[in-house]
Amino acid sequence: MILPTALVLLAIQVYPALYTLVLSVQTRRPAGWEFVGLRNFARLLNSAAFVESVGHTVVFLVGYTVLTLVAGFVIALLLNVKGALSRFYMTLFFIPWVLADIIVGVVFRLLVLPDYGLLAGILQNPALFPPNGLSILTADAARPWIAGFPFPPSPAMIYLILASAWRALPFTTLLLLAALQTIPTEVLESARIDGANTWQTVRKITVPLILPTMVVALFSLTLGGMNGVGMVFSLTSGGPGNSTEVISYLLYSIGWNRLDFGGAAALSLLIGLVNLALIMGTLRITRLQHEAH
Amino acid sequence: MAQNRRPLLAFLTSRQQRDALLVNAVLLVVCFFILLPIAATLLISFKQDADVVRKPPVIFPCDTPTAAFDLTACRWSVEGYLRVFLAQPSETSPLGFAINGRMLKIYLPNTMLYALGTSAAVVVLASMSGYAFSRFRFRGHNFLLNFILAITGVPLLTNLLGLYQMGAVLRSLPVPIYEDRIFIVTVYAGFFLPLSVWIAKGFFDAIPRELEEAALVDGCDRVGGFLRITLPLATPGLMAIFLLTFVNVWNEFLAGYLLITKNDLKPAMFGMYDFLGQNLINAELVAAACVIVALPTVVVFLLARETFFQAMVEGAVKG
Repeated sequence: MILPTALVLLAIQVYPALYTLVLSVQTRRPAGWEFVGLRNFARLLNSAAFVESVGHTVVFLVGYTVLTLVAGFVIALLLNVKGALSRFYMTLFFIPWVLADIIVGVVFRLLVLPDYGLLAGILQNPALFPPNGLSILTADAARPWIAGFPFPPSPAMIYLILASAWRALPFTTLLLLAALQTIPTEVLESARIDGANTWQTVRKITVPLILPTMVVALFSLTLGGMNGVGMVFSLTSGGPGNSTEVISYLLYSIGWNRLDFGGAAALSLLIGLVNLALIMGTLRITRLQHEAH
Repeated sequence: MAQNRRPLLAFLTSRQQRDALLVNAVLLVVCFFILLPIAATLLISFKQDADVVRKPPVIFPCDTPTAAFDLTACRWSVEGYLRVFLAQPSETSPLGFAINGRMLKIYLPNTMLYALGTSAAVVVLASMSGYAFSRFRFRGHNFLLNFILAITGVPLLTNLLGLYQMGAVLRSLPVPIYEDRIFIVTVYAGFFLPLSVWIAKGFFDAIPRELEEAALVDGCDRVGGFLRITLPLATPGLMAIFLLTFVNVWNEFLAGYLLITKNDLKPAMFGMYDFLGQNLINAELVAAACVIVALPTVVVFLLARETFFQAMVEGAVKG
């Protein structure tokens, strides 16, 4: 009964992964594939595009995970208050989750369309964004504080982070809300009787109790953020310049624009290793949680 | 219970209820901002070209030279939708017209086929293996289960290159066994199976095996017991797997774009991306296309939201 599932998984998950490993030490010549050892990796690690895209990815991931987690936690806390119409709100909050990332990119692009977008009036106001207003998808980044590291990020990157967080928010909120609901009300009540105020209760009791779930959410957001690429396609296409070229988009452009399959295989493998570490971390935490219960 | 009930007028004096009221008000505001981008897209999709390109932008196309907002003067329009449909009179079609927009004629039917096909395949495979994992102990039981758990989170991205080259090799074989549609459905099934197996196992675990044993005693055979007792009880779980897979496949972009070779077989998300490149200046057209492509998943979600939440919490807790 398990055989068909096992065969599909072998063909679609295991075999291509091993194939990628084999391709990563070869390069394509007119005559066919040729073994080049670790030269693909060396070429990749020494390329400016790779180094820059790692910087963009780090900035993106930090902004995206922190924003999503904080907003998700606050909303989950509100939804967990007794008497909140959480079912009703969850339904509305969840609509962004069923939208494809391509669609979300388009929706956010329409909002800032020069002159005509709903937010154009605010963004193009010179009083708010001196001297000439802000064209969010074409404005260049400010001079980096540290040479070579893309911080402060370009307006397009900030906007990409916002759009991505908007889409990831529902799932994160659901995850955190489910964790909040496992906290026995007696624990919170006794803290209140002992004189703790809301802020103290949240910081000293709620956060420590749902910390494992927060870490799981952090890993899953990082995994999704590093591998999700649709929104970059429809929102920024990596631009302006290369300021939103994150590592997943770089993989696409190495493999399918430059047709450098060896280089793309090497990059797939590197991203895959990070993915593996994140997945192992998640499994460890959930296992520890199960043992604790 | 009865003696604890407060009189109705104490409503606003109870601290807890005042808090709840406040929290609901805050949530309403949050909701407004979260849904703003969607509302804006809907509004744009129903405007006519002349109202879309106004400077400064108007939110509702309802202003007149004398009034800022006049409900009777609203200039709503389905121009954008009509231009996505591109309906033209046709003598051969039974309706008297034919839809010629590529989005509706080609890309959406493709996506529908892939989403339904993958979901059906995943439900069958996941219920078989989920049942086996739940009911039987066999050699490699835990190893396989842990393996499936470990690959549950693996994203498509890192396997795309391998799959792409695999497709190239299959296409170059002397026997013509390669078919874009079968290939992409298999790929999607492979990626959405692991989570589905876990969800299915969870649902089968929750059905007491005593029920099946009772059926066996009453003269049912094993297959009969599974089909008549267990499967009907597991239907909500299988429904959840079907819907979750449907939405995931519907929304997938990069694999559909890169792994399908024939342009006429590519899915709606590719269509959307292609469409964006050609029509960005016609905002009402792009917005209408967005609404059309997103509508099926939103409707499915709104109709079956409880099923989604349950499946997601189940999936998230497990892996």
